Amino acid sequence: MNMRSKRGALVGMVAVGSALALALSGCSRGGDSGGGDSAAASPGITDTSITLGITTPLSGATAGPGTCTVAGLNAYFGAANAAGGIEFGDGKTRTVEVKAYDDGYDPQKALANFQQMVSDGVFLETAGLGTPTNRAFREAAIDEQVPQVLVQTGDPIFSDQQESPWQLGFVPIYQNEGSAFGELLATSTAPHKVAILSQNDDYGQGYVEGFKDAIAGASNIEIVGEQTYEATDTSVDAQLTQLAGTGADVFFNAMSITPLAISALQKAQELGWLPSWFLPSNTSSPGAILQPGNATAFPGVYSVAFAKAPQSPAYSGDQDVVDFLANLKQYADYPDVPAFPHCMWSYMIGATLEQVFQKMTEPTRDDFMTQLRTVSDFQAPLMLEGTSVDTTVDGQPAVSTVQVQKYNGTGYANVDTFG
Amino acid sequence: MSRTADFLAHRWVRLAIVLIVIVVLAILPLVLPVFANQTLTRIGVYAVAVLGLNVVMGYTGVVSLGQIFFVGLGAYVTAYGVVNDWNIVLVFVAACVFSGIVGLVIALAAARLGGLAIAMVTIALPIIGVPLAKRLSDVTGGSQGVSARFSDAPDWTGLYNDQWQLYIVILITAIAFVAGRNLVRGRFGRAFAIVKENEAVAVSMGVSPYRYKVLAFTIAALFGGASGFLYMVAVQYTSPETLSFSHSISLVAAMVIGGAGSIVGSLLGGVYYVLVPQATNAIDPNLTTISQGVILLVILFVLPGGLVSLPRVIRRLARRARPPAGGIQEEGTVRPPSEGIGEERQAGPPAGGTEREERQGQA
Repeated sequence: MNMRSKRGALVGMVAVGSALALALSGCSRGGDSGGGDSAAASPGITDTSITLGITTPLSGATAGPGTCTVAGLNAYFGAANAAGGIEFGDGKTRTVEVKAYDDGYDPQKALANFQQMVSDGVFLETAGLGTPTNRAFREAAIDEQVPQVLVQTGDPIFSDQQESPWQLGFVPIYQNEGSAFGELLATSTAPHKVAILSQNDDYGQGYVEGFKDAIAGASNIEIVGEQTYEATDTSVDAQLTQLAGTGADVFFNAMSITPLAISALQKAQELGWLPSWFLPSNTSSPGAILQPGNATAFPGVYSVAFAKAPQSPAYSGDQDVVDFLANLKQYADYPDVPAFPHCMWSYMIGATLEQVFQKMTEPTRDDFMTQLRTVSDFQAPLMLEGTSVDTTVDGQPAVSTVQVQKYNGTGYANVDTFG
Repeated sequence: MSRTADFLAHRWVRLAIVLIVIVVLAILPLVLPVFANQTLTRIGVYAVAVLGLNVVMGYTGVVSLGQIFFVGLGAYVTAYGVVNDWNIVLVFVAACVFSGIVGLVIALAAARLGGLAIAMVTIALPIIGVPLAKRLSDVTGGSQGVSARFSDAPDWTGLYNDQWQLYIVILITAIAFVAGRNLVRGRFGRAFAIVKENEAVAVSMGVSPYRYKVLAFTIAALFGGASGFLYMVAVQYTSPETLSFSHSISLVAAMVIGGAGSIVGSLLGGVYYVLVPQATNAIDPNLTTISQGVILLVILFVLPGGLVSLPRVIRRLARRARPPAGGIQEEGTVRPPSEGIGEERQAGPPAGGTEREERQGQA
């Protein structure tokens, strides 16, 4: 009997509990789903401030470039805030707060960070590094209608407005880089034999695709050998030996692995094969790759860039570079000269966002996205001559123009002709 | 104390507790904020993975460092099934069964090796898995990964996506945990415990260590596959990074921290796996690895038996603080009947023995 009365009470409790829960759930969702009204401000923006989120690898193997992505943003907006904030298109001056989240290059954590951002009320996500991590919450960002913009991945999907209405890539897609070198080669009138070694994934294929498109019309250029390797391979000696046998005088090496790039340079010298060499922007660091690989042995090592390199003596007195390094030190707690271009890229992203903010007449994400796609011919600080930000072209990232450069023993110098 | 224990031992009361838990789980998704739902969903995903790991490592003493491989396998099978428009129940079964079969095949070979040699084989799994996922790009989408959206709430439910996903995860996680609990408390659980304790004794009792190791490994792979399915429910995207070896180590850490050889500990392991990175992000996003390391060490120093031993440690401290003679005796008599709430004590040896077994497992 005792038990039965207890069970009765239990059923009662459950019933009351469920009723309460249902009532509560009705309330809890009602409040935050009213974002459809265009007049109401989106989350993360007030009359005096705007909050940006970034999820990026701050731990693990990619932590170096990842830390740079946050430092660049902090440097730019730290300086802007210290100068009083940014005046938006609606006449209000706002300070910019950057909230960083570490995803350790783990897609699952990137999604978790995005969910946390939504709950923390950030206005937009920006500048995050990594293809899988950005892809992991691309669809969630579309669902939530949260901008995921100026992200640092060469994956073309982020710049396809049909597929990614709330996204935009910042850095050139792989094809852009490959075609820049192809175009340079096509200006040469001498006959060239090209050997290609590429990473067997979207990265390598993107480079090769861009390169082949660019040389399609040039009858003086012949591709004599094509090899691939896997991103997990520890040696490409076999492929290099094969390619050396073709006697090519130009070597297009779409490689993203630092140690492999060094050993490839060394192996080719060992084989006595000395072609002109092309390397992608992320594996062309003078200090980390070309010097250990003794790249001066080759007639020319080419790469592409769109940012001024602070290490390069040519830019040491440049006002952009001086300001950038000072801001990085003062506002981003990053006292060294950055070894990764991502610091510069994030700084440019900050400048690009400021352009968009100045055009925003409504404090909404909708208006932000509209204005985001209207920036053109903008020369962000640190950008090389001949490159600019253009967000108006569907299918292209914000920066799609790159400058081909040639290694001169210490740094890079711009080139307009091959040879 | 003893009165509460008697009360808890009563069948109806226990049934009532189970009922309450079910009701709470049913209501929770409706009342919690979105982010809490999403976090709980992810906890469920990894709790199932840790549960599988616990079956093979915590209960059977076979060191496995490859659990994430089966999670990733389950995720890829799920993605493949969804992309090819399979029925969703079929997708779930396929994710579990396929991972289970792969686990069985690997275990048939690996379990012939003793001690750490098995661990070496399991290390190889994620190391092979990542390049494999990149190379089989027709099926896996290569390094760009593959996304599969099937866990959005259907219109007829009137639920939000996060609520619907949490319901799916709660349902499957609950089934997995009930199945896991029954497994380790029954005939198989006793056999696992003997194999873990001493293989020679196991043989003398007619329990084949080889067969039970294979069984445990297969079950772990099965749970891994289920966890992979849940991963896709929660994340809706998978890429080779999902299989990264470091995640496998994190799973082992989560299992030890939750409580090796404990069902409740598996759940706590899932909580740890998900909440600690979130918490360390809030402390300082630049120091996540360091603060995670500190948390890990602190927990292992204070609670060598894992989070699941926390109530025991608190009780012991309380007893020390209040020394009257009655307390100690009562405590001694209370322990056995209170198994109902702490299943962990039933199957494995008590937490005091954990350290010893840990060492034995690696010998």
